[in-house]
Amino acid sequence: MRKMKFISILLASLCLLFVAACSNAGGSKKNVELKFWTISLSPTFDDYINGLVDQFEAENEGVTVIWEDIPFDTVEQRVLTAAASNQLADVLNLNTDYLKKLAAVGAVADLTEKAADVKSDFFEGVWEAGNLGDKTYALPWYLSTGGMLYNKELLKKAGFDHPPATDEEAWEMSEVLYEKLGVYGNTPSNIHLYLPQNGIPLVSEDLKSAAINTPEAVAVFKEFKERFDKGLIPRELLLGQAKANEWYAQEKIAWWGTGPQLFRQVNDLSPEVYKKSDAAPSIVGSSGFNHIAIMNIAVSAKSKAPKEALAFAKFVTNAESQLAFSKIVAILPSVKEAAADEYFTQGENSDDPSEKGRFYAAAQLERAKDMFAPVENISEINKAVNDEFHRVLLENKDPQKAIEDAEARINELLDTE
Amino acid sequence: MYKARHAWMFLAPAGVLLATFSLIPALAALVLSFTNYNVFQPVEWVGLDNFIKAFHDKKFWSALGNTFYYWILVTPALVVLPVFIAILVNQKLMGIKLYRLVYYFPALVSVVVTAILWNWMFASDGIFNYIISLININPINWLTSKEFVMVSLALVTVWQGLGYYMLFYLAGLQSVPTDLYEAAELDGAGIWQKHFFITFPMLRPVIFFITVMSTMSAFKEFTLMLAMTEGGPIGASTTVVYLVFEKAFKQLDMGYASAISFLLFIIILILTLINKKALDRTY
Repeated sequence: MRKMKFISILLASLCLLFVAACSNAGGSKKNVELKFWTISLSPTFDDYINGLVDQFEAENEGVTVIWEDIPFDTVEQRVLTAAASNQLADVLNLNTDYLKKLAAVGAVADLTEKAADVKSDFFEGVWEAGNLGDKTYALPWYLSTGGMLYNKELLKKAGFDHPPATDEEAWEMSEVLYEKLGVYGNTPSNIHLYLPQNGIPLVSEDLKSAAINTPEAVAVFKEFKERFDKGLIPRELLLGQAKANEWYAQEKIAWWGTGPQLFRQVNDLSPEVYKKSDAAPSIVGSSGFNHIAIMNIAVSAKSKAPKEALAFAKFVTNAESQLAFSKIVAILPSVKEAAADEYFTQGENSDDPSEKGRFYAAAQLERAKDMFAPVENISEINKAVNDEFHRVLLENKDPQKAIEDAEARINELLDTE
Repeated sequence: MYKARHAWMFLAPAGVLLATFSLIPALAALVLSFTNYNVFQPVEWVGLDNFIKAFHDKKFWSALGNTFYYWILVTPALVVLPVFIAILVNQKLMGIKLYRLVYYFPALVSVVVTAILWNWMFASDGIFNYIISLININPINWLTSKEFVMVSLALVTVWQGLGYYMLFYLAGLQSVPTDLYEAAELDGAGIWQKHFFITFPMLRPVIFFITVMSTMSAFKEFTLMLAMTEGGPIGASTTVVYLVFEKAFKQLDMGYASAISFLLFIIILILTLINKKALDRTY
């Protein structure tokens, strides 16, 4: 009797388990957890990002988004260590050159077809930032076309009543500023952007060979060497060992070319200097285009929830989300609809340089594009060009030889892809 | 009663930690050095290709040269100078412990804070250039010229290491029998003779230890270069470990980076054996 009772209870339990398993398999929705990484947005933008996450979760039942912010200088290590232990985020915020590296090794998903439905929403020059070759690996997120923050008082002391509008004027003013006040004007640190902005590409259109070896490139190197020998180019800024925002706040430089979202750093460092400052459009190169600094949103190739991850990526980069982000910091949206909002037509007469800078940056959006060639080794290519440029300035290397060596190195890097 | 298994039990936790965080990763890196591993793609065996690549790589030889130069600047200074500081702070004077703390203090400062501090001092309009301007010397490009960058970085390392190695010498000095000094005094030995014939020979094991430790630290230096110069200008302060960092984390070439690490290991091993032959004699 007791044995029969035990067997009955056992059978009943097994049946219950079986029924529960079946109902779980066919019944309630599986919970999906997405990991989302951003770069250096916390704690300043906690409310905005958390708001995005909450909104997406509310609109997508069963999906939970876990947000983690990574400091800018540790992104590469975090991505690698996470990938090695299969812990890479499903949705990643990446800068353009590292994105290309990850795309080349298959770490991020090919979105050429999956994101084709949203491609026309974005500015064409901006969409290409997420490309490697002719394939798309990320959606553009927030961006900056650059602007100029200038010190009205320093310019006035040197006898100027306006900031420079062209490169030539900027160098003429730099010479006067240095002679009269011992301060700097133009402070170049990115020759790899200066060259394509002035019609000298680093890589050929077919992406197969170097395009830098031209008389124009040699002439540029020679001109900069002359300026360096006159003392117009500070070594520390050239080599990236000093920060331009700190030098501007210390009134060692008369203007600072950067995105308007960074102007407020000067206010944090020195409110007095910020009060003396005003904004102006950035100097456009002779190509008629300026480089655009873009942050991208990519999806991990090994995401366990690729559909949901892509949906979240599209949500973060859509017009509504980007417009809301642009209203809390002086960045620009990469989506045409958001950039057309009347919000970006305001600020022209603002007393706040950040707001004015955002107006000028928005106005230049149509003349901005990603100057980085869509190749895997673009970081090393940029470094090679900068190294040869530094050799000309610091080690008196012959500019022609430097350009030839840069060409050889670029070809070597393109061959290894 | 003492048994061998008791000893193994006490050694086991440290052994497990050492094996987990040092030995096994080192062996894994050795295996990876024979592959084209880049974290994301399937691993392929490439044999000795990475080592052959290193031998033909100008950047590797440049980094190795920079590392040796840095080692020559740093290690003799960190072996010799702390001895004298330790002798000074080994006196029985009032407030001597405060001096020991002051000399040790730089060792407590993090590398990043050290880098920020010294960047300011080495700046073109920093305090060092101000001081030399008072004696009519032109400003020096401390961190922005090939000629001075390694010397500047070595100065920072020596500043930070003096107090740290001073402690080892101080401990060594405590173990020197004072009757040896008394006997030497009776024989008419002066202060330098006492140190030359008693202190330094008695400190030989400590000198050997510090030579090895400072050599290994010099060859592994990376954080200071990353924080102060990013390996520049134009690679003049790129050390071997900095090159490994660039290859592994920036260029995703983990296999090649592992090969360079293994070559560095062999170099450090050879230098340690040379040190042992030259310095490590027990009395």
